[in-house]
Amino acid sequence: MLVRKVKERLFLAGITILTFLTILPLFHIIFSVAVEGLPVILRGGWDFIIGTLAPPDDGLGGIGPAIVGTFVLTFLASLLGLPIAILTGIYAAEYPNSMLGKATRTLLMIMMEFPTILVGLFVMQILVVPMGSYSALAGALALAIVMMPYVAVYTEEALRGVPEKYREGAFALGLTRFNVVFRVLIGLARKGILTGVLIGIAKVAGETAPLLFTAGGATRTYFNGIDRPVGAIPLLIYDLVQQPYENYHEIAWGASLLLLIIFLAIFLPLRLSLKEVKL
Amino acid sequence: MNAIETKDLHIYYGRNHVIKGVNLEIPEKTVFAIMGPSGCGKSTLLRSFNRLLELNENARIEGDVRLFGRSVFEMDPIEVRREVGMVFQHPNPFPHMSIFDNVALGLKLNRLVKSKDELKKTVKWALEKSALWDEVKDKLNEPASALSGGQMQRLCIARAIALKPKVLLMDEPTANLDPVSARKIEELIFELKKDLTIVIVTHSPAQAARVSDYVAFLYLGRLIEVGKTEEIFENPKEELTEKYLTGRMG
Ligand SMILES: Nc1ncnc2c1ncn2[C@@H]1O[C@H](COP(=O)(O)OP(=O)(O)OP(=O)(O)O)[C@@H](O)[C@H]1O
Ligand SMILES: [Mg+2]
Repeated sequence: MLVRKVKERLFLAGITILTFLTILPLFHIIFSVAVEGLPVILRGGWDFIIGTLAPPDDGLGGIGPAIVGTFVLTFLASLLGLPIAILTGIYAAEYPNSMLGKATRTLLMIMMEFPTILVGLFVMQILVVPMGSYSALAGALALAIVMMPYVAVYTEEALRGVPEKYREGAFALGLTRFNVVFRVLIGLARKGILTGVLIGIAKVAGETAPLLFTAGGATRTYFNGIDRPVGAIPLLIYDLVQQPYENYHEIAWGASLLLLIIFLAIFLPLRLSLKEVKL
Repeated sequence: MNAIETKDLHIYYGRNHVIKGVNLEIPEKTVFAIMGPSGCGKSTLLRSFNRLLELNENARIEGDVRLFGRSVFEMDPIEVRREVGMVFQHPNPFPHMSIFDNVALGLKLNRLVKSKDELKKTVKWALEKSALWDEVKDKLNEPASALSGGQMQRLCIARAIALKPKVLLMDEPTANLDPVSARKIEELIFELKKDLTIVIVTHSPAQAARVSDYVAFLYLGRLIEVGKTEEIFENPKEELTEKYLTGRMG
């Protein structure tokens, strides 16, 4: 009796500690980014958000081009990626037993785990090399490719989660398959699809690797055309920490905090507000 | 004229032979009940009438189903489903749409109304016909998920009859309802049969006796007996039917 109780206690203590160890890094990251980044942003003020990069060893300046770039890249990537991804998800959900449907699902799973730097290389080959320059378009395409499998898989799962009785009810009204999917099922699955969209967006907003050989980066000029190089916050951080200047490291901390805030701003409301529609 | 006729109908799910050579004649503007124990194939049979069975890739149909003399397999399935409405065992109004939109959806997407005005009128007509109007007329824009089970089922009836089908299939429409709501649906069936043919699946002989003009008894995929409801209940010809009616069978 006593032995069992002790065992139970030990087990509980064990998993508590393990859980704590698992989430510890997360809190450590958030904590150190906030502690290091906040003073930088406060010191830089408005200028930190809208200004351009300071010269080495001379103040903070700002990371405006990177912020704008991140938004532009994410927006363009969504424009390119979301429609195709959602349609792919619908296809996989509607034709789960067809050859193409099965192949699609396998491919999506592979794409999700695919090293994103290879996506960057691929886009460099098909876009950057022929165009002769890094560009916002190339960066956005790389991000779109990274984003698509998440959105497609979430869309598919959301649609497959819609109880059969609603499908049947819709078909029984004499609706075409197109209308059943687009006028009824999509609406029922909208929370799940939206989750996928936001996860996809949050994911690519913080990506660095796919941008390395595609977006090019820009720290002193704002976005000026989709065929021109563009900056991005993660890319900027990656560049700055490799440089030997003290002020660049500070800017990198500030940029990190901003990136974290953007990420949480997409993610937290999503997680908190997502109570599934009752079916 | 027969609203629905089946000719030597066989239905399989994969290799599972579920409906075994059923010949049925369902006269127009009557209530036709299909009864039988659980798993005997009632729902399967009913779903072949509006070609809903074809949503299931495993299902295979042999023989013929005729709608007013025309083989449904020579018709566009969409046309079949417009003429043959269906109400399901689990009330399934679309929970994310308003009460109004639930009824309006089929009308709009099938282009059965020409103006907003006509749409409103038809929705109102359908809700009145299904005895729901008085309960929902002040909350047409509220989500359908806020209704009670019985109200949801009447909304499903409204949604189906709004398309003015010639036949209405009902698969155990009261199985998940409280007695009072069930009673209301049964009363509705009396009203509706003036205008259309109703085929109702039930595993309650008592319900079949209350609502139907004709009754068919299905057992393990075979049609055991079919005829006028009073005749079958008073004087069943088959022993199996009698056993079933007297509750000596599952
Ligand atoms: N989608 C399906 N796939 C495979 N087999 C099925 C499917 N639906 C039903 N069956 C099988 O077909 C037979 C008849 O099922 P059906 O649902 O038509 O019976 P039922 O008379 O409506 O029963 P209940 O009164 O329980 O609703 C059962 O043996 C069942 O296992
Ligand atoms: Mg059934």
